Amino acid sequence: MQRGEQDLVEGAVALAKAPLGRLVSIFEDARPGAAAKRKRVHAALSAHPRRREASFIGVTGAPGSGKSSLVGELALRLAAADTDLAVAVLAVDPSSHRSGGALLGDRTRVRLPAGERRLFFRSQSSGLELGGLGRASFQVCRALRHLFDVVFVETVGIGQSEIEIRVLGDATLVVMPPLAGDHVQFMKAGLMEIPDVLAVHKSDQGEPAEVTYRTLKATLDLSHAGDGTPAPAVVKTSVETGAGLAELCAELRSRAERRRGSFADKEAYFFEGWIRGEFGRYGLRRLPAIGGTAAEFLAASGGFDDAQAAFARALLGDDAPGWSP
Amino acid sequence: MASRVPKPSTQTPHALVSEGGEPERDRPWIFRTYGGHSSAQASNRLFRDNLARGQTGLSIAFDLPTQCGYSSDHPLARPEVGKVGVPVNSLDDLHVLFEDIPLEKMNTSMTINGTSMWLLALYVALARERGEDPAKLRGTTQNDIIKEYLARGTYIFPPDASMRIIAEMYEYCLEHIPKWNASNVCSYHLQEAGATPAQEVAFALSTAIGVLDLIRERGQFSGDSFATCVGRVSFFVNAGIRFIEEMCKMRAFGELWDEIARERYGVDDPELRRFRYGVQVNSLGLTEAQPENNAWRILLEALGVTLSRDARCRALQLPAWNEALSLPRPWDQQWSLRLQQILAHETDLLEYPDLFAGSPVVASKTEAIKAEARAEIERIDDMGGVRAAVASGYMKSALVRSMAERAARIGRGEQTVVGVNAFAEGLPSPLVGGDDGGLFSVDEAAVREGLEGLEATRRRRDPERARAALDRLRRAAERDENMMEASIECALARVTTGEWADALRGVFGEYRAMTGIEGQSLGLRGRRADEVTRRVETLSRRLGRRPRVVVGKPGLDGHSNGAEMIAVAARDTGFDVIYSGIRLTPEEIVHTAVEEGADLIGISVLSGSHLELAEDVMARLEEAQAGDDIPVVFGGIIPEADIASLTRRGVRRVFTPKDYELVQVMDAIAEVLEEREARAT
Repeated sequence: MQRGEQDLVEGAVALAKAPLGRLVSIFEDARPGAAAKRKRVHAALSAHPRRREASFIGVTGAPGSGKSSLVGELALRLAAADTDLAVAVLAVDPSSHRSGGALLGDRTRVRLPAGERRLFFRSQSSGLELGGLGRASFQVCRALRHLFDVVFVETVGIGQSEIEIRVLGDATLVVMPPLAGDHVQFMKAGLMEIPDVLAVHKSDQGEPAEVTYRTLKATLDLSHAGDGTPAPAVVKTSVETGAGLAELCAELRSRAERRRGSFADKEAYFFEGWIRGEFGRYGLRRLPAIGGTAAEFLAASGGFDDAQAAFARALLGDDAPGWSP
Repeated sequence: MASRVPKPSTQTPHALVSEGGEPERDRPWIFRTYGGHSSAQASNRLFRDNLARGQTGLSIAFDLPTQCGYSSDHPLARPEVGKVGVPVNSLDDLHVLFEDIPLEKMNTSMTINGTSMWLLALYVALARERGEDPAKLRGTTQNDIIKEYLARGTYIFPPDASMRIIAEMYEYCLEHIPKWNASNVCSYHLQEAGATPAQEVAFALSTAIGVLDLIRERGQFSGDSFATCVGRVSFFVNAGIRFIEEMCKMRAFGELWDEIARERYGVDDPELRRFRYGVQVNSLGLTEAQPENNAWRILLEALGVTLSRDARCRALQLPAWNEALSLPRPWDQQWSLRLQQILAHETDLLEYPDLFAGSPVVASKTEAIKAEARAEIERIDDMGGVRAAVASGYMKSALVRSMAERAARIGRGEQTVVGVNAFAEGLPSPLVGGDDGGLFSVDEAAVREGLEGLEATRRRRDPERARAALDRLRRAAERDENMMEASIECALARVTTGEWADALRGVFGEYRAMTGIEGQSLGLRGRRADEVTRRVETLSRRLGRRPRVVVGKPGLDGHSNGAEMIAVAARDTGFDVIYSGIRLTPEEIVHTAVEEGADLIGISVLSGSHLELAEDVMARLEEAQAGDDIPVVFGGIIPEADIASLTRRGVRRVFTPKDYELVQVMDAIAEVLEEREARAT
């Protein structure tokens, strides 16, 4: 590993902002040549004596539900309650389908103190991916995993495939604004599979929040009765009054502990996702012949970065130009 | 007072007569000049000079830290201290500001909103310490928070808390300072933000309705005392260059207000239904090109609000001819004041009853404005009132649309602006040829003096009393008790402006307005936009991701439109834009850029603090070892002469109002990034 990379890893592990910022950029880099660098940095991170092991909390909710400001509050509270805890937020916003550019505005709603090393915020564009995450979101999470204790991943919003955030998150939080009754009926159809915790946000708005809360609670208790899985917790929250925030923090952390998924499973899922994105159904059809299941292929290749290169080579031949990791 | 106002004569319709039947003139309106700068000492000198020259009321401009609730030594405040007005940190500053100016004789207008209660508390405390009777104080705290959310940006607290402050001030003033206008509903800033005459009337009256509905709901007043409260609502209006229409607008304002007071609030006494208003004439239409022409514009705009006796303003302040270039110098202000004096004292304007009563043209035009405004007021009412119409973004987007239409009309030449899109050729103006180039600059020594004064106040005060006063303020805020007395005690205890606002921020939280940029598109299309987009695509391939641009506004000026347009334009040409909003410290901007791994920082400044801010940002980037990695560009109202200084400090490009072509700005930004890539390889 090069001297500069060594410094970068040391700086990032010490949570200094400039090296952290640069290190994350390496995990966003789509140039084929970036994979080797990423592999070296990732190896150094995962072997570092002061590495951490993050639990991931996925956050989703309709635009306007107030999820950004809620995530900011939660990060602040977690860091304040435990002076050893380091918290990162990865916030994904949609890209324009016309220009490909994106307006990443979450920082206007979340303001974390600039001088606090244990809090880190990164905005990301979704690119033209369909789910709630961006092309590089999982890559960045691979790095954040070893640098922080808690990583919030805030998705674009409620879309078609929240399953991604369910896999990535050890716990998933769905943020709902107070809604009229009909809307609750409508929303819950698509939502019930995802959350470990539901926040009925902006509870300072009184009656509509109360109605939303009662409707959700009744429906969820009913749908989970008897099937053995724990019903999602429903918490009324407000950033204005601070109501419910402590309870929400506790719920999220304990549920993330309980449901904590193995990172290998996440890698396998997102490796498949990468194949689909890069090579389409053809790539997925070839996977069993090239290396068995995604998990088997990852294990045999010696990690995510090598697996990408190996798969591209197997599919395209030795030169393997024109793909991006 | 009303009995001394002359009445039209019954014998000769063109004459005014006194009670005793003697021919008489009207008393002139109050002459004001909006002023204040550098420090309390410097501003006191300015006020006394202006009064000596025949100004009859004070209109105080506060600097942005004072308006936004920061003491002068706060990191956000430092570059802005004394720039656009006087800094007031504590009661000690107010003593200096009003030295040798008798409060009881003064009619004082304060352009203050987020910290309005604090400034009124300071003024009352000043009267108490000087042994003057607070009940005799006359004047106005601007205190219109709605237009701050919409256009001006110096809000601090969320809407509910801000509206409560306004209501509490009405409740306090009615009981203790009956001649004080607790708030001054502003249509002024709405016109500056692009409002049409009907929008100006409708939005301002809806704001007044919002305040009065809240006061009625709080239930402190009923019957006659509520009618008195309605009578205390005053307005601050704009007057543009279409001066006939503006005169009709003023009549529409008066007639509609009368209607609302009567029908909505049941006020019987016509005196309490009078539309009382002060005016600052339009600045939006003043031009940077051929600035001497602005003198004529100001004169014509003044006619719009003085010609018609029935719709004449009660107080008038005029901008200076060079307002589009810089803050006015004392001579510029004197020149504007002379205009008022000539109009009131030399001409025969004040000798006649209303000149337009019975004019079918004026009546019809007035009715047309009223009808349009009435429909708009109803629409806002249906949305749930002015607070809902602000929260939903309805009012903001209506203003943005009107402003864009105005710009388009000027661009197409459909609306003539002499010296800009017509008759642009002219001789150089000797007015801008002086040693100072016709510009005002802040007295840096005076600013330093002010900072030392703040230190001294903190050192000398009784810390126990200050702490207790702040505790009392917090308690009052939490328990929903009127906060005026607690604020006055804070003033007497030498609490500072920053401490007062911080205590309430702790209780109410800080409001962050909707940026208004989500879902916006500028519709940048065409060949040149496509070329820029392709250029950005090429850059993206070289970088391995889309170029990431941080756009932010340091300092306290809240005029975010420029920064927002740049952010949207950058997104529309393929950049990933991290928009970090307004009121940022240089530290926060650099922190954001570093944390986000940004490729470029774009900074927008309109307050005149660009040199200090550039210095600070560049130093912090060096410190973060990102000086070479992250190029910086600036945009805003930046004088030609300062561009070289910015470039010397390492700023890569500077955009001024001349660069209104967004595609060109985006092209230049792409170019800066290509230059960086070329350096790196």
